[in-house]
Amino acid sequence: MIADFSTIVARDMGIRRGGRWILRPTTFGITSGVIGLAGPPCSGRSALLETLATLRRPSVGTLELLGHDVTGPAGQRAVCARLGLLPDRFGWAAGVTAREYVSYAAYFKATPKHAVDAILQRFELSDAAELEMDMLPADLRLRAGLAATCVHRPDLVFLDEPLASIAEPDRDELIGLIRELAPAVVVTATDAAQLTGWCDRVFSIVRARLIESLEVPRSWSRVPAGV
Amino acid sequence: MSDLGRVLRIDARRTAPFLAVPVLALLGAVAAWRALLPGVAYWDDAVAALFASVRVLGPASAALGAWVALREHRLGYLRGLSVRSPALGPLLDLMLLGVVALTAYVVVATFVVVKTLLHVQAGHPQVIGLLAGALTLLVYTVIGYLSGRAVPRLPTVAAAAAVTCLWGIARPGTWTYLLPPPGVEHIHPFAGLRTELLVAQALWSLGLGTLLVTCYLWSVTRRTRLAVPIVAAAAVVTITTLWIHAQQRVPLAPRAFEYTCRQWPLTVCVHPALRTALPSLEAALTPLATRLSGTPGSFTRVEHRPDSDFPRPMRGVVYIHLRDLSPGYEHRAEQEIQISLLDARTCGNPAHAAGVRYTALVSAWLLDETPPRLTDVAAARAFARWAEIRRRHWLRTHYVRYHSCTLRGQDFRVV
Repeated sequence: MIADFSTIVARDMGIRRGGRWILRPTTFGITSGVIGLAGPPCSGRSALLETLATLRRPSVGTLELLGHDVTGPAGQRAVCARLGLLPDRFGWAAGVTAREYVSYAAYFKATPKHAVDAILQRFELSDAAELEMDMLPADLRLRAGLAATCVHRPDLVFLDEPLASIAEPDRDELIGLIRELAPAVVVTATDAAQLTGWCDRVFSIVRARLIESLEVPRSWSRVPAGV
Repeated sequence: MSDLGRVLRIDARRTAPFLAVPVLALLGAVAAWRALLPGVAYWDDAVAALFASVRVLGPASAALGAWVALREHRLGYLRGLSVRSPALGPLLDLMLLGVVALTAYVVVATFVVVKTLLHVQAGHPQVIGLLAGALTLLVYTVIGYLSGRAVPRLPTVAAAAAVTCLWGIARPGTWTYLLPPPGVEHIHPFAGLRTELLVAQALWSLGLGTLLVTCYLWSVTRRTRLAVPIVAAAAVVTITTLWIHAQQRVPLAPRAFEYTCRQWPLTVCVHPALRTALPSLEAALTPLATRLSGTPGSFTRVEHRPDSDFPRPMRGVVYIHLRDLSPGYEHRAEQEIQISLLDARTCGNPAHAAGVRYTALVSAWLLDETPPRLTDVAAARAFARWAEIRRRHWLRTHYVRYHSCTLRGQDFRVV
């Protein structure tokens, strides 16, 4: 079902790569909250995320983000300032500190300098800001990645397997952080089980089809997203 | 430091300038050194050496460009979803890569210019040649970077280097050797690069580089106003290609010059690019001139001529054709004069085979070489015993037979 106020609206949207369907034409709408997207490696999960983030174009169908048709360059330009993307195994320039890394992102998001300090503080990175990214433990590195992704306060954030390398004790704290990133957050994982319990909706990619899991325990989703 | 300055500093790390510039400069300097004519200080040859360095620097720069694009791909999530123009990131990369490549090129150019200046230079500095080389190098860099952007895979780095290297050494048609970087190995004295061709080559590189960059920018921005530079650049490339095609592989033109001479004891005149050779040529050729004095082959003037120029011999004048001053050039000049003393028609006659051997014996003396082994041992021993003065007298009386390779054994037994 597609609500009038949907953040993401895909109509008959399909993605083909190398002559095969990564995602068969499908129609779906996402309003807000934390949306889980599960699929094993090479299932096309990252390609779908990049398509939703406007870095790739859908092969067929239309895609609207935040009320703009992003299949054309005008729509992409209109929404790109309101999007954030953190890829799987995200990269950074060698030798940069956490602050330089976030500042680098802030420059391309045309965000004022004070926003960097603010988001470093918000993500509890002030003490680690001058450490090189290579030296940071996985959870702090993810916090820096999230800070770079959200330094411009986006309305819609895409995170590709953000918790893949995070140890169990740190996960709950980071899940709380992820839920507060933006009004709508799309998170991926290899298995739907990793997403259930804290995502408001969970989709799975099965044989190039997008299928929604109807039973999602709502322990975390009681906390409103986008606070 | 400004925000842009901070971003540039971070991006600059990916181009590894402190490693890339010295490596590129070293590669370019070695290539230029190998291309420079030994001992010759000639501005046109200096430009040819710069093109030779671009043929090596270019593929290395293309590989660096592809490598940077590959590493940039990992930051696409930060730079791609930008409120700034999507062209900003690639343009910053291209600017940094251009700075790295041009810095290395400036080092190589400085090396070539200083080397030409330190020796006694000839000709005139061709600034347009320097510019054409720089623009060609930038085209290589753009090709490497854009191929890395198009296919961000590790093999692209090797492919970019291989394809651009192939373009430098093998071209599909003969006229395409005039396209930048031109396949001109050496510019010998007496000839010069054609300025209008260098201008066309500079424009061709500028047009192609602009076309590639603007086409790429259009693909990421879809801005219709980019159509104007795209069409203009395509027109420049087309027109210059047609013009270069019409030149049909004629990169060189005769260059006016005035001989540099040394007057005593012989008059030796060479192209000014080889003027450093005058003292050693004088020293090497004077004994030969002394030995030939009083014979029809005597000479008092030695003239350096272009490779393809063999003027009708004049009395008392001999011609030498030196391409460079690589070791042994004095002896090569002596040999050329000695060969010019002989009548090729009669010396090539098999009936005079014995005479040719006696002639070789005399030639070895003229050139201060080891005498050849003769079957006529008596003649060889007799000639070896003679004093220098006696040999000269003997040559005056037997010059005609020496010239025609018709010397006989009894010629060496005369008292």
